[in-house]
Amino acid sequence: MIPIEYYLSLSAFMFIVGVVGVLTRRNAIIVFMSIELMLNSANLTLVAFSSYLGNPIGQIFVFFVMTVAAAEAAIGLAIIISLFRNKKTVNIDEINILKW
Amino acid sequence: MSQPLAYFFDSLYLIKPETSIIGFLVLILLYDLIFKKEKWLPYISLFGLVVTLFLIIEQYGYNKFAFQSSTNFGMMAIDPFGAFFKIIILLSSIIVILFSILSKELDVARDRMGEYYTLIFGMILGMFLMVSASDLILIYIAVELVSLSSFVLAGFLKNDSRSSEASLKYIIFGGVSSGIMLFGISILYGITGTTNLYEMNSLLQNFDSTNILMILTMILIFAGIGYKISAVPFHFWTPDVYEGAPVTITAYLSVASKAAGIVLLIRLIKSTFVSQKDTFGYWEMIPAFDWQGFLIIISILTMTIGNFSALWQSNVKRMLAYSSIAHAGYILAAIAVLSDQGLVGVMVYFIIYLLMNLGAFLIVIVIKNKINSEELEDYDGLGYRMPLVGVAFTIFLISLTGIPPTAGFIGKLYVFIALVDAKMLVLAVIMLLNSVVSLYYYVRILKHLYLNKPKAETTDIELSFSLKLFILVLAVPNIIFGLYFAPILEFVKTSLIILGI
Amino acid sequence: MNLYDFIFYFFAALTIVSAFFVVTTKNIIYAAFNLLLTFFGVAGIYVLLGADFLAIVQLIIYVGGILILMLFGVMLTNKITNVQIKTEASFVIPASIGVGLFAGVLIAILLKTEWRNSPADIPISTLVPIGKLLMEEWAFVFILLGVLLLIALIGAASIARKE
Repeated sequence: MIPIEYYLSLSAFMFIVGVVGVLTRRNAIIVFMSIELMLNSANLTLVAFSSYLGNPIGQIFVFFVMTVAAAEAAIGLAIIISLFRNKKTVNIDEINILKW
Repeated sequence: MSQPLAYFFDSLYLIKPETSIIGFLVLILLYDLIFKKEKWLPYISLFGLVVTLFLIIEQYGYNKFAFQSSTNFGMMAIDPFGAFFKIIILLSSIIVILFSILSKELDVARDRMGEYYTLIFGMILGMFLMVSASDLILIYIAVELVSLSSFVLAGFLKNDSRSSEASLKYIIFGGVSSGIMLFGISILYGITGTTNLYEMNSLLQNFDSTNILMILTMILIFAGIGYKISAVPFHFWTPDVYEGAPVTITAYLSVASKAAGIVLLIRLIKSTFVSQKDTFGYWEMIPAFDWQGFLIIISILTMTIGNFSALWQSNVKRMLAYSSIAHAGYILAAIAVLSDQGLVGVMVYFIIYLLMNLGAFLIVIVIKNKINSEELEDYDGLGYRMPLVGVAFTIFLISLTGIPPTAGFIGKLYVFIALVDAKMLVLAVIMLLNSVVSLYYYVRILKHLYLNKPKAETTDIELSFSLKLFILVLAVPNIIFGLYFAPILEFVKTSLIILGI
Repeated sequence: MNLYDFIFYFFAALTIVSAFFVVTTKNIIYAAFNLLLTFFGVAGIYVLLGADFLAIVQLIIYVGGILILMLFGVMLTNKITNVQIKTEASFVIPASIGVGLFAGVLIAILLKTEWRNSPADIPISTLVPIGKLLMEEWAFVFILLGVLLLIALIGAASIARKE
């Protein structure tokens, strides 16, 4: 049997990779992909705990999170498209009328 | 019928306000779809809000769980404390819908107003749930409901690239911070094996010292809440989004969604980490995480960075954004007391903050309607061209600074009393010094209004009667409550009942 | 090493490597396809953990829904006007130092903690208990999700639609 620490390390690693992506990448779509990685890592933690605690609520939570993630991705891409119409770029550094 | 399903139907009478909001959300959507008449939409929305207000007042005295589970704890806590903040959220929604009727900025999007009001109702629903939720799953869904609606609302003027840009920044920060919060929640679930805050409380009782895992978890979770109330260091989105979003939405974000975030924080601390309450109303905390130290640090950082960054802003909306960060800092200071008296401070502060901050934003909207600018330089000499606006703006700004005899003073006074009573003198002094700093930039606006000469020859600007009345309705209470604040205090004290210990 | 362990290491390696490529590759299309592999690897791990329902949902929602959305986003913002999509990275060094520290602390804490390690019997299928929970205890949240999806639908359509 794989100890739970292995699953947690895996999801911590995914979370870190997601954070690195958000901090370093300048393309808005890749930033969204990194956010999806972060959400997936949280889901993985939830499922691991749910399975090791023998408690199904974690899995219910993951189901809800997936739905929310889909909604967020839809809105995020809608915003990117609307911004692209105005500015013809998805590079965050060029999105700078407002100071950061 | 199975037992959980029976609990579900038994609880429906407790969520009448939420049900009414969902009903009107659908109604607005259908009306817009079928009749395509923009004109009546705000009035339907206002009607819906008034109906909801009555429903909340009707269930004001309840103090119980909705959607109980087999463990006797429930998903939502319906208590007077929650009802109080629901009333605050509703009042600010009513005012913001009136703003939306006035604002000329939204004229370019008049044919999409059905979506605008639908999304505002979505936000209200999310905020109601944030105020009542006592379960991590519901908290997450509620936060996301508010976030998703407000991302779209911030970018509602989609042909204005500033607005789209604000929206993109908002969703990136929002997505990241909710991802971080979710990771924290997942670890907390692993520690306790439950998602219910009250159940967690009994499970956490056996922690007798600070636990490094809890520190990590709570900091991760605070990232999500801190982003909603724009506490430093999660405030980076605030100035950009406030500047780029339509003014009505900026006003709404600065009051209502901040209130919901603050209540979420209070409920998280109160129902999860308090082991008991002593006779003076101070909370005895479970030592797993040092909330007091953490909140003091965050509060000092928030008010100081907010105030000092506001000093060199030239855009009024951006300045008000930083000022709202500073106000979040004052409110966090009151929470850091961790006592009932601190909560009185928070609640009094919010009633008054609602009046003064929305008032200031109303003036920004009125001026933007007339001169189409939010830059401080363009405000030169406006105090003489629009006398009523000048006087009202002066009242709001003095109130925001917290100088007597305005209501803002009373708000600060109660926070201050709570701090001094708890012998947190350093924090009290820092708050005082911060108020002095804030005086500088608020008065700078007044200097532009009255002392600077306008650049070109100008004429007086006339306002309609209803607009004048609206300004007065917000300005006069700022003076009245500064002198006679017993009713506010009475209302706050009767509302200070939080379900649980 | 038995078969179970081997499957775990296979999917874990797949997840880690592809996640790493998502944030490092220069080509946005490669990033999207690596993301597909990551989602697939996570789904495999869900199966190992006995969450069969979630594994299927993961494939349907993430691979079938979100990833397709992302690819549409790439296409819609790339081709129309011949604007090059820049996919460079910035602040690599300060970010990696900060994140490295955070990663060390996070993983150390997670490994150091004594978790309540009582692997329950993996049920034959989680479908029935999850369905029951969703329709009974969590029915309210389930309904709310409907409202949330409605809001997302209206919001996305409202903002992406051409005037």
